[in-house]
Amino acid sequence: MYYYYVLNIFLLACINMIAVLGVSIFTGFTGLFSLGHAAFVGIGAYTAGVLTYHWYVPFPLAILAGMLASGIAGLVIGIPTLRAKLRSDYFAIAILGFGEALRVCLENLSITNGARGLSLDELSGSAWVVGALLASLAFTRSLLRSRFGAMFMAIREDPVAAEMAGINLFRTRLLSLVVSAVLCGASGALLAHRIAFIQPVMFTMTQSTQLLASVIAGGMGSISGPAIVSFIFTALPEMLRKLEMYRLPAYGLLLVVIMIFRPQGLMGYREIPDLLRGTRDLLLARRVR
Amino acid sequence: MMAALLEVRGLTRVFGGIRAVDSLSFDAHEGGITGLIGPNGAGKTTVFNLITGVYRPTAGTVCLAGGRLTGCRPDDVVRAGVARTFQNIRLFARRTCLENVTTPILARASYGPIAAVLRTPSARSAERAAREKAFAIMEELGIERFASFQASNLPYGMQRKLEIARALACSPKVLLLDEPAAGMNDAETHELGETIKRALEDFGVTILLIEHHINLVLDICTHVVVMERGALLAHGTPGDIRENPAVVEAYLGRRRRDRA
Amino acid sequence: MFLQTLVTGLSIGSIYSLMAVGYSLIFSVLSFSNFAHGAVIMLGAYIGLALAAKLGLGFVLVLSGAVAGAGLIAIVNERVAYAALRRRGAPSLYLMISAMGCSMFLENMVYATIGARFYAFPEFFKSQSVRLWGSSLSLLDLCAFVISMAAIFALQIFITRTRTGIAIRAGVNDMTMCSLMGVDTDRLISVVFFLAGAFAGVAGVFLGIRYLVYPTMGWVTNKAYIAAVIGGLGSLPGAMIGGLILGVLETLVSTYVSSVMRDVFSFTALIALLICLPNGLMGTETEDKV
Repeated sequence: MYYYYVLNIFLLACINMIAVLGVSIFTGFTGLFSLGHAAFVGIGAYTAGVLTYHWYVPFPLAILAGMLASGIAGLVIGIPTLRAKLRSDYFAIAILGFGEALRVCLENLSITNGARGLSLDELSGSAWVVGALLASLAFTRSLLRSRFGAMFMAIREDPVAAEMAGINLFRTRLLSLVVSAVLCGASGALLAHRIAFIQPVMFTMTQSTQLLASVIAGGMGSISGPAIVSFIFTALPEMLRKLEMYRLPAYGLLLVVIMIFRPQGLMGYREIPDLLRGTRDLLLARRVR
Repeated sequence: MMAALLEVRGLTRVFGGIRAVDSLSFDAHEGGITGLIGPNGAGKTTVFNLITGVYRPTAGTVCLAGGRLTGCRPDDVVRAGVARTFQNIRLFARRTCLENVTTPILARASYGPIAAVLRTPSARSAERAAREKAFAIMEELGIERFASFQASNLPYGMQRKLEIARALACSPKVLLLDEPAAGMNDAETHELGETIKRALEDFGVTILLIEHHINLVLDICTHVVVMERGALLAHGTPGDIRENPAVVEAYLGRRRRDRA
Repeated sequence: MFLQTLVTGLSIGSIYSLMAVGYSLIFSVLSFSNFAHGAVIMLGAYIGLALAAKLGLGFVLVLSGAVAGAGLIAIVNERVAYAALRRRGAPSLYLMISAMGCSMFLENMVYATIGARFYAFPEFFKSQSVRLWGSSLSLLDLCAFVISMAAIFALQIFITRTRTGIAIRAGVNDMTMCSLMGVDTDRLISVVFFLAGAFAGVAGVFLGIRYLVYPTMGWVTNKAYIAAVIGGLGSLPGAMIGGLILGVLETLVSTYVSSVMRDVFSFTALIALLICLPNGLMGTETEDKV
């Protein structure tokens, strides 16, 4: 029984980590602010959930459909708001509106069973979840090491200079958004079939802020940092049940404190192997100067 | 006479009633170094912003080897063959120097997201080629020993050179340098002049240079364009400019008096 | 019937305007989206509620109390969460994240201490109505509209006629230059936040009277952000007009189409507008300073 409980938390943390990877690509590596990525998680969850619930679609196909639907939603919001001349605030505001519109739709459609939510089968077994997480990690790592990662980070560092390095701001930002939405969609599809129940309130701004908090606390521009932190954020509340009321205010405070005192977060633009190398570079830098 | 590679015709930009650039026309000749000088606020940087598509001109055209640049987005201008540096250095601060220089090369690489994720041999070889090319450019400018440093940790003069390296990595036909010697002493300025001349020879780029170090301009430029209050005041060889009474009055003369 | 709908729409729209103007004011000076604005509105509503229910004060005192309280909260919010970032010139991404953190902290602290209960204001406006051209218009609607418009008008006078107001407008153009010219930017920014907070207080009280008071009531600010984008991000007249237009259109949609479609409509309107007019109705084209 206890084993099952721990396993369940572990699997939830893994699923959460997939969505955090998505937000990390968008905010940590491309430098864009989003308060609505939970909506992409929701679209993935509901697309996959509705497909398995009403039409008994095979689980793997349902996951793919969830990812596809989230990606399309990303395009719909991204195309009008990520254009090169627009400030990133436009996207941030549009995705807030999108989250609200999505919640209203989910609560009022009969296919989603409204605000009461959908009860689903528990299809996301350990193999699926762990496999999906490993695949997502490999995917993110490869993407960020490629020319696309270089372009994302150039935009994060300086959009004007990035454009003058021949980068198409719009297309690159849009790619970053779609990739992050697809990862969130996968996370949602797995989540829906892990806790076997979905409701519109599971995908609001509060959840978006939690995703963002993991990325910020873990360190923007890092994959390992947010991954570690998202794991802690999922596991910790389970251990501190009594303080549950103060979990969300604590996340909020954490965001402010990190921005003021340590904007680079836990890992700050580094990965674990870099930490070892970093010490050496520091010594070298001193000598050259 | 060398052919005009970059042609600016009647270029005008109005900001809230002020004509920051006023029907300016000039040519930058292939293989030459054209200096763009003028007092502060003459509109020199605005000309760069108009050429590179950062601002849209109110009127006028810019052509590169006969093809129109006006109306193109900055990234298309770069692809067409114009690269630039910035007056207030804009590096990718938290990336290494080598990554700064590889970025423009990778931006032009042709492999797609799927190849990137699968790390296909073609993607890998494109990345390796980009690193090698970037390193070669850095070697040319003598900054290869900083390759693995974070860009923001470089000394100021090296940051300027790194920005030039990044611009050269765009494989430009025309390179726009916006006050590359700003904040440098005479020795550093002289060395920078040598670097610019070397870049011209080794990379075959045509250079358009904004600079306040008048000696550097008269020293290395083949042609000089003088602007005042957005408009063309004079143009010609450095020798002509030195003798031009209007220029001496508006720019050189006043400076000489200031120093005295 | 149509006139009644129109007045209701204008009344809701004027509350959106109040929120949008407050948000735009901060945006135009500090150029970041203050996502904690909704939380200040919520706190303003709670302050008004406490004054009305616990102390039994009348409407004018309740409103003044909420204005002062929310204004002070906004100043404290700026001092604690943004001042340090602003002074070291942090990217606007950091300010937005910090703002979001504040919003989350405040909302959930209210939730943890006061609770998730929904509270109603005492009935200030009973269900009195005014008859005009054969329609009966609710007094609350008229009052909300008149007070909101008066507040925005007063802000306009403040900004164009007073020394501080002119300094604020100068700050909109160039904060660094402003501080070099000897303007105390910290004080100026506190004034800006007080004004935005005061507007949030008025909006909070009216929202609380019209609907109810609860921890996440500030989420309605999403509408204000949309209104500000419709009007043109950073433009104060734009924010006002955007708010009124959004309020009227939403009310028309919920009256003649369906109330469920209302929120879907405002998002769709936003997307449609951004495709046709990316700079909003009154915004100017933004070009980065290079």
